[in-house]
Amino acid sequence: VTAANQTLARLERLLVVVPWLLEHPGADVAAVSARLGVARDELLADLDLLGYCGLPGYGGGDLIEVSIVGDHVTLRMADFFRRPLRLSLREAVTLLLAARALAGVEGLAESAVLARAAARLESALGAGADGPRLAISLGGPGEEHLAPLRTAVAANRVVRLTYRSETRAATTVREVEPWSLTAAGGGWYLQGWCRTAGGPRDFRLDRIRELAVTGETADPPPAPPPPPTYRPEPHHERVVLECTPAAAWLAEWAMAESDVPARGRRRRITLAVDHLDWAARLVLRMGDDVRVVSPDALAARVRALAAEALDRYGDAADGSPRGA
Amino acid sequence: MDRLERLVNLVIALRETRVPLLASDIRTRVAGYGQDDHEAFRRMFERDKADLRALGVPIETAPLDRFGDDRLGYRIDPDAYDLPPLDFGPDELMALALAVDATGLGATAAGGLRKLEVDVGVPGLTRGASGVGLEVPLAAPHLEALAEAQLTRTAVRFPYRRSDGQSATRTVDPHALVHRSGRWYLVGRDHDRDATRAFRLDRVAGDVRPVGEPGAFAPPQAPVDVDSVVPAAPTGAPATAVVEVSPDLAWQVARGARGEGEPAADGWTRFTVPVGDPDAFASWALGEGPHVVVVSPPALRSRVVAALRRAAEQP
Repeated sequence: VTAANQTLARLERLLVVVPWLLEHPGADVAAVSARLGVARDELLADLDLLGYCGLPGYGGGDLIEVSIVGDHVTLRMADFFRRPLRLSLREAVTLLLAARALAGVEGLAESAVLARAAARLESALGAGADGPRLAISLGGPGEEHLAPLRTAVAANRVVRLTYRSETRAATTVREVEPWSLTAAGGGWYLQGWCRTAGGPRDFRLDRIRELAVTGETADPPPAPPPPPTYRPEPHHERVVLECTPAAAWLAEWAMAESDVPARGRRRRITLAVDHLDWAARLVLRMGDDVRVVSPDALAARVRALAAEALDRYGDAADGSPRGA
Repeated sequence: MDRLERLVNLVIALRETRVPLLASDIRTRVAGYGQDDHEAFRRMFERDKADLRALGVPIETAPLDRFGDDRLGYRIDPDAYDLPPLDFGPDELMALALAVDATGLGATAAGGLRKLEVDVGVPGLTRGASGVGLEVPLAAPHLEALAEAQLTRTAVRFPYRRSDGQSATRTVDPHALVHRSGRWYLVGRDHDRDATRAFRLDRVAGDVRPVGEPGAFAPPQAPVDVDSVVPAAPTGAPATAVVEVSPDLAWQVARGARGEGEPAADGWTRFTVPVGDPDAFASWALGEGPHVVVVSPPALRSRVVAALRRAAEQP
């Protein structure tokens, strides 16, 4: 923090404290400083400085009167600071964003209160075509699990999930100690300790088929919970893929360990994966934009998955599916 | 003299003056300026003015307007300075603080919460509020600058990284900000194309600069229809597809399907599902591999089959 920023932070604080002190003569300095999280001496120094400020002329009737008796402070002659400074456009619009986003979350107890707060901010900003135009769609399938999971997170209750894993396209039942819920990339995620896997895991809510909140209380999460990101580990297998420019985003998305130019405008990326099946499904999904360079086992797995899928389409590519 | 003292005195002087103050008046009359030479005063005053404006102090420039004097002075309109009563209840302010915590927007929003606390009568009421149990990360670079430009109807210019990796400069009338699938988009009129376009905020590759004056364009009358702008579905794309899915996948597909599924062979289920973006749909079907069969439309079916063929025959 630079000295200039520090000065402005003190000014911002004064412009909030002074209106409050004018309303509450004889307020307790220690209580105010504790509430604002400011050291008592720092607050006293700022108030003391106010006594040297006032109207041009700076004579007897011009200066702000600051009287500090014991721990009680009273301000007079500061009517120009009776109101706090108006919300800046940025403050108002950012508060509105936060309120609108959370108010739209299904099943949130605070929704109605937040909607009222949002309406007040909208009126402050001016409504209608000239007002703020913000559209936030966080949701996604699986939102029905949010309310019970919030309760489970708040009470550290172990949950039992019937879950279709993205990694292996298999449905399993898992016991999870829930830590937090996060909206990311258009979906909701539960982070927690998966007892079945014996490690921290993220679960997409739309992949939860059944959810049961058990009566068992888990230990509180390690503080703070680890971020919901995938971390390559040494024992993971390395796969090398060649991507066309259309698939170049894969490097960032899958946290490639290396990303180097290849023939044409392609990229050659190396990923650390804990299941080859996950990589095989990724390669299939990317169609012609991704080619397997190594290992051979991955290329074989892609071929096998594709052949198995083709099998269900029957012999003729445009024929009817088997059983239809 | 302490700079804080000078800034407080400047705010008081500009707020309480009846006529706009000339820079020379400020130099001679406001405590904290007088002793410096002219050039030093200029630099000091310009910096103070910019910092106060950044805090939201509404310093205006206005003509003196007396006896034909057209010189420009400075003042603060008390009505523009004072927070109007917004009547927030303590419960609303607490909920707002939780929302700010959950969205990670505190860097900008915290100052606003402090101001609103004064009206509730409890300084520091919402300090450290957390525990809504949800994380909805919404903070993004340029978000506040673009929201401000949208509100003041000011055109903006920024370098933009296209999907092919090339960078180009865009000039846009900001109409709306849209958050969808974890991404922020600016929707507005692209000056060079004279058409409405959506821009991903994470592809803005440098500073967002205002162009021209506020109020330079009329906002569109109709509310922004998110679905029509982001993502732009190709016209003529099929609206729905019929798929058969394995028992393992059926429950998940059932969530987004139109109507109930029908039983198919081998315990599979047949569903009619919406197709937003055909590319994304084909990717999904390919990624699910042996768990899904695209029955119709024929174009999507043969596209998936062809891609599977190529994958099966890859060396």
